[in-house]
Order: sequence, then structure tokens, then C-alpha cells
Amino acid sequence: MGIASITNACVHLQNAARARLGLTSIPNTKYNLRLALAMHRAGLIASVTRGGPRPPPPEALLATETEPVTFENVATRRLWIGLKYWNNQPVIRNVSPVSKPSRLVTAQLDELSRVARGLSVQQLKGLNLGETMFLSTDRGVLEVREALAKKVGGLILCRVS
Amino acid sequence: MSVARPATRRLISGRLAASPVAPCAAPTPTTAPCQQVFAHQFHSSRQLSARRRPRFANVRAADMGLMSEKQIDDFTKEKFPQYTKEELDHLRTKYSPAQIAALEAGEAAINPRDLTVQGRLRNDPYTIPYIDDFAETQPVIDKRAKNKEAPDPSARFMNMDEFTQDLIMWADKFQVGDVTGQLKTLVDFVPEEFKKVPEGNWPGDVREEAHKAFQQYLEAEVKRQNEAKDVDDVGGGPTDADILQYILERSAMTDNGRTTNTSLAHALPSKVPGVAGLYKKAIDPADMGLDDIGVYQDLKRRTGMSVVEILRLQTKQLVDRSVANQTRLGKVRKTSVMYCAGNGNGWLGIGEAKSTEPSIAMLKARLMAIRNMQPIRRYENRTIYGTVEAKVSGTVVRMSARPPGFGLRVSHRIFEMCRAAGITDLAATIPRSRNPMNSVKAAYKALLTQPDPEEIAMGRGKKLVDVRKVYYGGAVY
Repeated sequence: MGIASITNACVHLQNAARARLGLTSIPNTKYNLRLALAMHRAGLIASVTRGGPRPPPPEALLATETEPVTFENVATRRLWIGLKYWNNQPVIRNVSPVSKPSRLVTAQLDELSRVARGLSVQQLKGLNLGETMFLSTDRGVLEVREALAKKVGGLILCRVS
Repeated sequence: MSVARPATRRLISGRLAASPVAPCAAPTPTTAPCQQVFAHQFHSSRQLSARRRPRFANVRAADMGLMSEKQIDDFTKEKFPQYTKEELDHLRTKYSPAQIAALEAGEAAINPRDLTVQGRLRNDPYTIPYIDDFAETQPVIDKRAKNKEAPDPSARFMNMDEFTQDLIMWADKFQVGDVTGQLKTLVDFVPEEFKKVPEGNWPGDVREEAHKAFQQYLEAEVKRQNEAKDVDDVGGGPTDADILQYILERSAMTDNGRTTNTSLAHALPSKVPGVAGLYKKAIDPADMGLDDIGVYQDLKRRTGMSVVEILRLQTKQLVDRSVANQTRLGKVRKTSVMYCAGNGNGWLGIGEAKSTEPSIAMLKARLMAIRNMQPIRRYENRTIYGTVEAKVSGTVVRMSARPPGFGLRVSHRIFEMCRAAGITDLAATIPRSRNPMNSVKAAYKALLTQPDPEEIAMGRGKKLVDVRKVYYGGAVY
């Protein structure tokens, strides 16, 4: 699935936030998990928990997974994402996927630094106030400022504001 | 020319003197003629047989008796008599002494004989179109005579005692039995030393005796009046019509029932009991005379600002257009006006109003803009936060924050709004429709929907530091 599941996950998170959901789930893939953890580091989501087809109980959200993954249950695993709200507004307002399977968008370090300062580079618009970007690098899925700190560019996954 | 000149005439006369037409007094042989000579004797037309007479016979004035002094006098005395003493007295009740003097002077100026001899009915263009000496009022032509006195300026509504007195006076007109108000009262039955003392201070025995005597007196009076009533029961009391007239027409003022020709009511006194102090004058001394008409009073109450502060606000007309409501009777045209108002320090409002009168629409829109003022978030009191975009109908306004000194590179309406709000560095584009009203509304919407970086940081659990305020001690301008 690759980048397609990332695109689907981005759109699903935006829909879930606009529907004011507290807990939602995305398919359990490594790519999704890395993106979810990057978003968690950025403070955009409250929790990431690997669980079954049913929502985990609230106390289980503090753990990373409700039960160990086995060959028997791996097909039913999902990533349960706790969404955040502040002042009656969702913390995630817009999630727009950038790369798609038919068109992968990458940015090198110098381009990334310009984009992070709000300047546009070719088709890539500069980041606005409160906007952030996630990209897939060889150091994992990182937020744009993490990537700049580690001086790596990569495949741009999505923009979140 | 057949008329002889004097010299010629003399010549002719001399020639004719020899003719034996008429004897002269003295047969002077020379030129002195004493004979009447008619010019028409020399005319070629035929001479008339006698003196010319009119075709229609006239009547001589003397034959009609008009030239007789006696008849003239008689006609004059009959038709144009002098005022009698009674009439003069009556006139004095109607006119002031000055008017009476003017009347008498006018009477003296015209001789009544001249009216008889020379008086003619006029037929010139300036004739008054009816024959009248203005002695009587003609309701169709003349205004209604105002022959009643002016209202009494010092009249006021009667108090309870005066009203009672007035009612008794009215009732006494319909006298049945004795005149009211002549009955004895309780005070008349106490000794002389207690007459001035209130009843509550009388000694017990004095009071009891007085009450007893008063009761006997009243019973005797009732009995006496009933007997008198039986004797002649003529029913002299007020009729229903009298009572109705009392209710409808009796004045409740202390003007003695005076009626006037004016429909104006008496002015209310400056302090009507029960109303005094309820109505305040519109002029507020705190306005320092800036709002005597009261235009800003409602705004003052709503916003809590003083008139001085209101007048100090920056307002600007942004849109002006003519609109029309199509009705059965045609188009009703109005002016629609949009105003922005701001204090130049972060507050901005827009107001919209319509009126058939442009100046009223402008005033209403301006007041509405001031009423609608809201705080606008500004970064460093000069620009906005980030890039914001707002859409109203097909109009999209996109605004971007800009560095100090950038200026306002925006369209003219957004420029006025920024100036009113105190924004000095801004870039704005209107990529799609540039409808004036919608661009103003979209710009206002964009300014109001700026993101708050502090809120975003708190939502994500991050600490936010503005590096412009950190480096060089914040002195980055």
C-alpha cells in the first residue's frame, strides 16, 4: 500500500477531527504507525495505541498496545488514535496529503529550510502560521523541524495545520 | 383747408360788413365787425336744420330730483346715517380706543353727501368681486370671526376646594329649597372660645352637646325642606341636558369658564406633579455641546464611549450604490452605503445602511460601523498574523503579514480599513471576483479569523517564543 495508506490516514484524521471524535482508528501499518508517532511528538494527537477491532478502554490508552501482536491477531490490529481538542476546537484542523502514489513530492534540505521559513519552492507552498509538515526520511518519519535539525530531506507526506 | 386764419377772417369780415344780413349797433364803415359768423357757412356739406338732438332722450338729474338739495339730504340721511351713541358704545366694546379713533377719523374724512352724489358702483379691474361693506361675515368667503377673548394665560386646573366651590355655584343656578352652603355646621354649635379650636381638642361634654344640637338642627332642616318641597314640587333641579352640558362644557380651569377661539391647549407648567424629573433633556452637558441634536446618544449608551471619543474615531465611506425596490407603483430608489470605522489602534467595524436620502444612509451606516467595532488581532501593532484567507460569495481576499516598512500594498477599500484599524504593513490580493461590498466583507472576515499562535501552541502542548522579541533585546526594527 505504501503512500496510499498514508494518504487515506491523513484524510481520515481530518474527517475524524471535524466530526469531533475522541478516538479513531487507522490501519495498522508500519508507515501509519511512524506517521502517528511523529504527530504525537508534534502534539497533534493525544495517544497512539495498537488495539483490536473494538476501541480500547480508556485506561488502556496510556499503553502502547492492549495485547501483544501475534500471528493470530495481527490481521485484526488497528492503530487507535486519540484526538486532541483545545478551547472547543480540534487541534488538527486541516490535514492535506502532499505525495500520492502517482506523484511523489520530495524536498532536499535547502528547499526544506526555505519552505519551513514560509517561502515557496516550486510547487511546494511555504508553511503558514501554525502549519507543519511531515516527511519520510531515511531517519524515519519526521516533522519538518526535526528533519531540519537532523539535516535530512525526504518524501513529503502531508501538511497539518 | 376751409378754416380761415384770423387775418383772413378779419378780411372776410370786412368784406361781409357791407352785406345787409344783420344790422349792427353802429354803422362803422371801417373794419370793426360785430356780426357772428359761422364757419359752417363755408362748408360744402348741407347745413343741419336745427340743433343736433340725441337719438335717445335722456332724463335730466334735476327732473329726477337728484339736484334738489333737500332730496340729496334726505337720501344721505337715510342711506348714510351717522353712528348713533348706542352703536358707538357697542363699537367701543369691540375695538380698542385707537381703532375707534381710526374709525371716527375715517368717518369724518368722507362727506356723506359725496357718497350720495358721487358714489358709484365700481366696474374697474380692481373692483372687489362682491358688493359688501364688510359689516357681516359671509361664511363661504370670510374666515371665521375670532370674536372671543384670548385664553387666560394664568389659568390652571382647579384644586379640590375650587372645584367644590365651582360645583356649588353651578348647582345654585337650579335652586331647590335653600341656597347650599348656608346650612349651619358643627362649629356653630360650640361656645365661642372653641370655634377656632379643632374638633379633636374640644372637651368631651362640649363635643357631645354640639353633636346633639347639630343632629337636632339637621333633622329640623330636613323636615322643613321636605315640607317646602311638598308645597311646590316644581322639579326645578338640573335636567339631564344641564348635567351633560356641565360634564362636556364646564371648564376645569380657573378661568371662570372662559371660552376662546384658539384650539391650543394651555401650556403645561414646568413641573407637572408626578411627571417632573421623568423626562430628561436630550442635551447632556458631558457632551460639551458636540451633540445637541442627539445623534450619538444611542451610540453613547450602547458603546459606553463619550461623544468626544466617538467623534475622534476614523470613519470612511467604502461603498456607495443605488438600489431600487420594484413595486406595483414603480421603482423605490434608495442609496446603499457601507462605512468602516476604527480607532486607529486595533478596533474595526463595518456598517451598512440604506435610505432614500443619501445623507441619512451615510449617517446610519457610519453609526452602524461604530456600533459594530471589534478588536482586530495585530502582530506588533502593525500587521496581521500569518496568511489568512476569507471568502464571501465569489470574492476571496487573501492577506499576508509583511515586515516593517512594507506599507499597505492592498486595494483602496482594504487600505481604508487597514488605516482605520491601525495596520501599516500588509499585502492583500483579491484573486477572484472584486465585488466592492463582498471584498470589504471578506477583508473584514479575514481580519477577524486570524490564527492565534499562543492558542495553537497551547493546543499542541508546545512552548512558543517569538524570536523577534528575543534577539538583540527585541530591538529588531
